[in-house]
Amino acid sequence: MATANRDVREIIREGPLRRHEILKVLEDGPRTVPEIAQAIGAPTHEAMYWVMDMRKYGWVTELPDPDDDGLFSYRALERKGA
Amino acid sequence: MDYDALVVGSGIGGMESALKLGDMGYKVLVVEKEASIGGKMILLSKVFPTLDCASCISTPKMAATIHHPNIKVLTYAEVEQIERDPSGRFHATIRKNPRFVDEDACTGCQQCEMACTVAVPDQFNSDLVARRAAYIAFPQAVPKKAVVDRPGTSPCTFTCPAGIKAHGYVSLTRSGEYEKAFNLILETTPLVGSLGRACFAPCEEECSRGSLEGPVPIRRIKRFIADTHYASGRPLGVQPQADQGKRIAIVGSGPAGLTAAWQLRLMGYGVKVFEAASVPGGALALTIPAYRLPGDVVAQDVQNLRDIGVEIEVGHRVDDLEALHASGFDAVLVATGTPRSGRLGVAGEDLQGVAPALRFLEDTKLGRAGSLGGKHVVVVGGGNVAIDAARSARRLGATVEQVCLEQRREMPAFDWEIDEAIAEGVVLHDGWGVASVLGEGGVAGIALKRCTQVFDEAGRFSPAYDETVRRELSCDAVIVAIGMGPDTEAFGGTVRLQRNRTVATDKQTLQSSVPYIFACGDVVTGATMITQAVGSGRRAAYMIDRYLSGEDFEADAFDARMPKVEPADVLRRQKSHSRKDPLLSGKETLAEPRDFHELEAPLTEDEAHYSAGRCLDCGVCSECHECVNTCPADAIHLDMRPETIEAEVGTVIVSTGFKLFPADLKPQYGYGRFKNVITGMQMDRLLAPTRPYNKVLRPGDGRIPDRIAYVMCTGSRDETVGNPLCSKICCMYSIKQNQLIMGNLPTADVTVFTIDVRTAGKGYDEFYVQSKAMGVNFIKGRISEIRELQNGNLIVRYESIEDGGGAREEEFDLVVLAVGVQPNLDTRRLFAGDELSHDAYYYVEETDEDLSPGETSIRGVFVAGAASGAKDIPESILHAGAAVAQAAAYIEETRVSV
Repeated sequence: MATANRDVREIIREGPLRRHEILKVLEDGPRTVPEIAQAIGAPTHEAMYWVMDMRKYGWVTELPDPDDDGLFSYRALERKGA
Repeated sequence: MDYDALVVGSGIGGMESALKLGDMGYKVLVVEKEASIGGKMILLSKVFPTLDCASCISTPKMAATIHHPNIKVLTYAEVEQIERDPSGRFHATIRKNPRFVDEDACTGCQQCEMACTVAVPDQFNSDLVARRAAYIAFPQAVPKKAVVDRPGTSPCTFTCPAGIKAHGYVSLTRSGEYEKAFNLILETTPLVGSLGRACFAPCEEECSRGSLEGPVPIRRIKRFIADTHYASGRPLGVQPQADQGKRIAIVGSGPAGLTAAWQLRLMGYGVKVFEAASVPGGALALTIPAYRLPGDVVAQDVQNLRDIGVEIEVGHRVDDLEALHASGFDAVLVATGTPRSGRLGVAGEDLQGVAPALRFLEDTKLGRAGSLGGKHVVVVGGGNVAIDAARSARRLGATVEQVCLEQRREMPAFDWEIDEAIAEGVVLHDGWGVASVLGEGGVAGIALKRCTQVFDEAGRFSPAYDETVRRELSCDAVIVAIGMGPDTEAFGGTVRLQRNRTVATDKQTLQSSVPYIFACGDVVTGATMITQAVGSGRRAAYMIDRYLSGEDFEADAFDARMPKVEPADVLRRQKSHSRKDPLLSGKETLAEPRDFHELEAPLTEDEAHYSAGRCLDCGVCSECHECVNTCPADAIHLDMRPETIEAEVGTVIVSTGFKLFPADLKPQYGYGRFKNVITGMQMDRLLAPTRPYNKVLRPGDGRIPDRIAYVMCTGSRDETVGNPLCSKICCMYSIKQNQLIMGNLPTADVTVFTIDVRTAGKGYDEFYVQSKAMGVNFIKGRISEIRELQNGNLIVRYESIEDGGGAREEEFDLVVLAVGVQPNLDTRRLFAGDELSHDAYYYVEETDEDLSPGETSIRGVFVAGAASGAKDIPESILHAGAAVAQAAAYIEETRVSV
């Protein structure tokens, strides 16, 4: 996790771009943020921004309970529109 | 007088002030710079020490404020200046920023936000998550109306002469919405594929990314969008409006004429285009070489017009504009361009083998030109047409030399065009004029003379020569590309022409000397670029519609763009920019080009995504129009502009609140570098019912934190950051959060590092004691350093004062910095004339804090809440009450005296 930080604005701006990659990863089932980050080759904290953006705007939702490490898994939702 | 009182700011102090004055019967104007009233309190989870829900307390006050019959609230507005007059009244100048949303129509459904393609940090969630450029501030916002974050026009869009929303289609491409991007460009012109190839892309010249690694390849993205649409075989996503019952004839089918035809047909007019050539498209179809713009791409673009019902008749030259009108067309648009090539005016110009460039290019594009294999061709001219002719001649097999008056640096052709021509084997002779064409019966060579000056001191074309310096080039053919002009003699008896034979029109309305005849594009301006012609065609369509509707032209309203956002301001929004290299040009030039295959490779989908991802969203809103298209209430109006409101008021209450200390000014704590170091306000957001995450999670990886540390007095009681003051609220909000964490995360361990805990207030100390009883661990000692581990955990190094002293280290999952408060310096520029005094810490100074709380250095101006110093919520409310009492007395006093 000790990676160089990019400006938050820059990370967030990439959200719409990364959404497609993340949804592709979630086609195989729910994943935690670290798992998503690994799958798309991005730092975990950046993936956190994108997943939470997708959660806010209805692209993904979390499973009810976290795993033993305290991590929630997120699954894709059917969503109309952009 | 417009209002008895002006309240600046609508946090708890401002709302309380307005409500009390309103209840007393005074007319109050509240000005709030954010899109919602409520200040910081509405964003909190709960309040201390009662743990009442902050929203539950705030929202009734917010609703009461906005619905109060004596209170007028202006949100998204800023007080620019207030001046006191001799009578004791105040004159306020207020800037009402445009929301771009009709507040009466907006239902707060949030569909605009869901559709918006631009993501920016959500300041109402302390940047923990994104919001959209079109957004509702927060779920309990009052008024719950959307706002479009749009500080200006993105430089790319602002610069486009055609008026294409360049930023819009780039952001749609970034979102994978290629068809919507295509439709967005169709709002301007049907020539998507052509412009994606042949536009000179002034947008890229202005791209803010250009000052980093290089501009976004905006034109190539447009080509990608067009190619993707045409490859999909999808029908057009646009339909004309209902039939207007009127018909328009358009003479000429170049980019100006076709764009006008497109626009007018979409408006519901019957449109017929007359084209003298055998194919429609003007320069696109006839003179731009296929290696830059293939004919089938132009044909696809032209088909867009036919698909919506535009009639196009080719091989029909129009000389009589009046006859067209008489045949039933309600208006006529002349868009015949500049099809005539300039002449050299030298001996030998009419020899066999001398050809005007436009004819040569047309013959080449339409497949009528034969091979030039083994021939030696001289092209005369330094513009883009000359370069096109030279490169086309190379492709037909000729060896080519190009002669121009200008020195290379002066040539009007684009630099990259010249470079590519040279790379393809064109030999350039710059700084030479033509003395004569040599030969008998046919071209044998060309005589040149040294050109010593192309432009005079005023910049006018005024070539001068040194007749003593001469040279000759032998050649088999000469292609002349020294300018283009209109072919308008036939119209001269109908409409007024300029001396250069262009059609004279009103610059704004494009109406000619005959009211029903309009003209646009190069036939008006002389030869320009395609995109300028497209823009001119759009303008003509707008004006013709106004004319036929019997409305005033309102020419200024056409394409009125907001001011350009300056690239330097865009770059300043970020502390750093990571490097994202631009793609290579995608062109491979050959020294011996032998065919007309398209030179530039298309972007792949990945390349288009990557390139669109480099966009910096300069204007924030990209003008992609997704919100406009989505809004069920038709409430989005991007043509709104700022308004200036002048108000005379009896008294002023300054309630602008406080700012939070920027935690990155304590670098030893790692805020902004370590992902799991957050501020107290961020923790409040994580604990709030409208939290950005689904639970209290650490931002670094989404894990539920087990061990949480609090660092008190971050940026307060700290001379090293220039703030020796205690912020008063940090201890208590931290203790509140501790209790809420224990409720949210029952297994969590919470440790608070503190200098001492200050709990002055009713029930505050009991609240503190309760926290300790719940298991919160308070350690007296300051933090010297925080380090981040590979797993995101944090090592906190501290001095343990009560446990024998000495440095200790402890590991945590999450560190919360209890940041202090700072004065809001906006108050310093509020008043003109009289000075609003500030204290040594830059808070608004009260003249007598003990006896007249709220009174400031300006008679009739009062301060309420934390604008005068750190206060918690109950104190702010009390303070507002004190300010209001004095403000009411002042209103009455001036009322009597006036």
